Amino acid sequence: MEKTVFKQPKRAALWFGIVALAVFLTPSGSNAQEQMPPPVTPDTIDRGHAFFANNCGICHGVDAHNGDKGPDLNTGHFKHADNDADLFRVITHGVPGTIMPANDLPAEQVWAIIAFLRSTVVASRTVTGSNVAGGKAFFWKAGECVDCHMVSGKGGVLGPDLSAIGSLKTIAYLTQKIRDPDKELTTGLREPNADYVVPISNSTVTVTTKEGNQITGIPRNEDTFTIQMIGTDNQLHNFLKKDLQRIDHAQKSLMPAYGEKQLSDADLKNVLAYLSTLKGGRE
Amino acid sequence: MMRRQVAIVFLAGASFIQLAWTQTAASDPKSWLTFSGNHAGWRYSQLEQINKANIRRVAPKWVFQTGDLGKFETTPLVENGVMYGTGQNGKAFALDARTGKAIWRYNPNLPADTRACCGNVNRGFAIHGDRLFMATLDAHVIALDKRTGNVLWDTTAVDYKLGYSFTVAPLAVKDKIIVGVSGGEFPIRGFVDAYSMDTGKRAWRFYTIPGLGEPGHESWSGDSWKYGGAPAWETGSYDPELNLVYWGTGNPAPSNYGGKREGANLYSNCMLALDADTGKLKWHFQFTPHDLWDYDATQTPILLDAAWQGKPRKLLLQADRNAFFYGLDRETGQFLFAKQFAGQNWAKGIDASGRPIVNPETVPTKEGVTVCPGWAGGVNWNPPSYSPQTNLFYVNAREEFCTIFGGHEETPLAGRYFYGSTFAPPANRKDWGALRALDPLTGDVKWEFKMYSAGWGGVLSTAGGLVFTGDNEGNFMAFDAATGENLWHFQTGSPIFAAPMSYELDGKQYIVIPAGSALLAFGLPE
Repeated sequence: MEKTVFKQPKRAALWFGIVALAVFLTPSGSNAQEQMPPPVTPDTIDRGHAFFANNCGICHGVDAHNGDKGPDLNTGHFKHADNDADLFRVITHGVPGTIMPANDLPAEQVWAIIAFLRSTVVASRTVTGSNVAGGKAFFWKAGECVDCHMVSGKGGVLGPDLSAIGSLKTIAYLTQKIRDPDKELTTGLREPNADYVVPISNSTVTVTTKEGNQITGIPRNEDTFTIQMIGTDNQLHNFLKKDLQRIDHAQKSLMPAYGEKQLSDADLKNVLAYLSTLKGGRE
Repeated sequence: MMRRQVAIVFLAGASFIQLAWTQTAASDPKSWLTFSGNHAGWRYSQLEQINKANIRRVAPKWVFQTGDLGKFETTPLVENGVMYGTGQNGKAFALDARTGKAIWRYNPNLPADTRACCGNVNRGFAIHGDRLFMATLDAHVIALDKRTGNVLWDTTAVDYKLGYSFTVAPLAVKDKIIVGVSGGEFPIRGFVDAYSMDTGKRAWRFYTIPGLGEPGHESWSGDSWKYGGAPAWETGSYDPELNLVYWGTGNPAPSNYGGKREGANLYSNCMLALDADTGKLKWHFQFTPHDLWDYDATQTPILLDAAWQGKPRKLLLQADRNAFFYGLDRETGQFLFAKQFAGQNWAKGIDASGRPIVNPETVPTKEGVTVCPGWAGGVNWNPPSYSPQTNLFYVNAREEFCTIFGGHEETPLAGRYFYGSTFAPPANRKDWGALRALDPLTGDVKWEFKMYSAGWGGVLSTAGGLVFTGDNEGNFMAFDAATGENLWHFQTGSPIFAAPMSYELDGKQYIVIPAGSALLAFGLPE
């Protein structure tokens, strides 16, 4: 019998919650990996636009603004959601106490709609007084960002692939993630439905082998008998739990906090300006 | 089949309790002839070739692919070397049980707008003579010729467009086929039906919501009885001596808002004892009156004859979705005991009459309240097992599985979803699963095995001293039935949404589990 007590990863909790609901609402059973947001391409955004227009356009307007009943969704701020998991929930389950209904859509369509909504946020993309070339240089050299993040096929795999980040996230979100990666961006943002908030948070795992070796990284998958992770060496590591002394999960990002010492406000603006140019195409 | 199954076997268990075992799996334990393996709901195989000593050598013998996606929930039947199963999307198949090679496939043209809430699933056939019986997603009951897969009769039970469907494996009792309807997520009026095996003509119908002038009708306010749900979507059990069919019912609709259906809402979330010949109600017991949390009582009940508190009793046992394990007297419906088997916050306890003492803080509000167990329950439909060898009841419990239920009034529209709720997973909670072995006479937990997440696997126990189940991450596992030690596991590559079964052919025992699109048969090496 497995006796190890595992600290529970929040991200896994989130995904299992969503997956559980998705399994309930959609015909096909599937596992957590299959329900992760698929990679975003310009095609995804176009398809998301079509799904949005068909399912949401009657209230929100076919281009996500100037709708008759629903709010504009291209402002970079959502009243009931500001991360993708929240958006997924709002789309699939509606908003209680409002006319926003639950929508019985396949997960793939919901993610495409979310990608489309993220791509509509035009206004917040402008970073005034910035220097894209300087931001790019920092990202690829001094900042060592590429040690962990990949852009258009180059870089590390520990952090999220940023090839299309300019289409996906607001400047405010990126600023937070760079300055204070562990801050929960959803806390206290919504009333009266704050209970419904499912914050995206970071998950780090450290395993200790029977021999006493420790490997830290990002958990990729886990079940009753095994765990798969990417270590800080940017390599995949697969373990049988019976070969491990312990597994420690932490709700903490491996991303270092870039304070003003490491990254001046001017450099931050430049990096944000550079990230805003990343839309999923070739460099 | 029925006449061969009325043998009564007495067993002296390892414990001091003498158990009367009505309804053996079949006179021939090498077959598997009903959804639960026997009419008492045991899901127990008398085969012992695969046992504690050799389980570590067990490996796949063959794999059958349905070719369809979606949850695969069937319990296949095996008779005379042929396996009969139902797949996804209303399909079905017959296989050579030696090799898994298909003999025929049944591919109906189902309408695209069937109303199954939770996937185009089916849980299996019933068999009698040369006939197989299936209840369909478009609310028909059909008979197939087991040799060819040809349709012999096709009866429409109800108009599926109103929100009805079938996912249940029918129960064959005497000359009738018994089915219960699905659709508790829609504004339906549930029922249990019996059809003539011979003609497909409906023999009786028991509406799970009493009509005007019938006892229990007063437990619904206004017109709510007309669309109050109470489906009956899981296979029941049968006692041939009492001639009673035991069938569980599901939630009242809408599931999370009770303001327009004041009252106990009979016979939602009940165990029903129905006369097998007439469908007349002998007794009922309601586990969760005026349910606000979707606590269906549909799980297959286990029938057991045992001395309870010194007196021989005909017992009915159920691990209910509301997280309590119940013992009832199945002759009278008398409540005997209840014991919590999974984490919960909705009830402060169960009183001496069997009624829950509801925690008022879990009544859904517009803003939402966190309720445990959440929408899938302390256990869902995935069937339990009882082993006369260990005298233990095995169930897959769901832990830390909670939901934020927001309840609101909703207008019932025929054929449209009718939840009255918004629901979401709470933050900072990681669910997990536990295979638990319970004392059937007290509900005390004798052992448990923890799993990574709350799963959907049913349980099989065998005379080889083993218990089998599957988890949400695709592991198919075997345990020492007495101690819970995990002896073997196999990664199937898909979450498991079904219960195992076992059969013997050419002197070899097989253990079968559906996973993904595959039906996997395991056995010992040559």
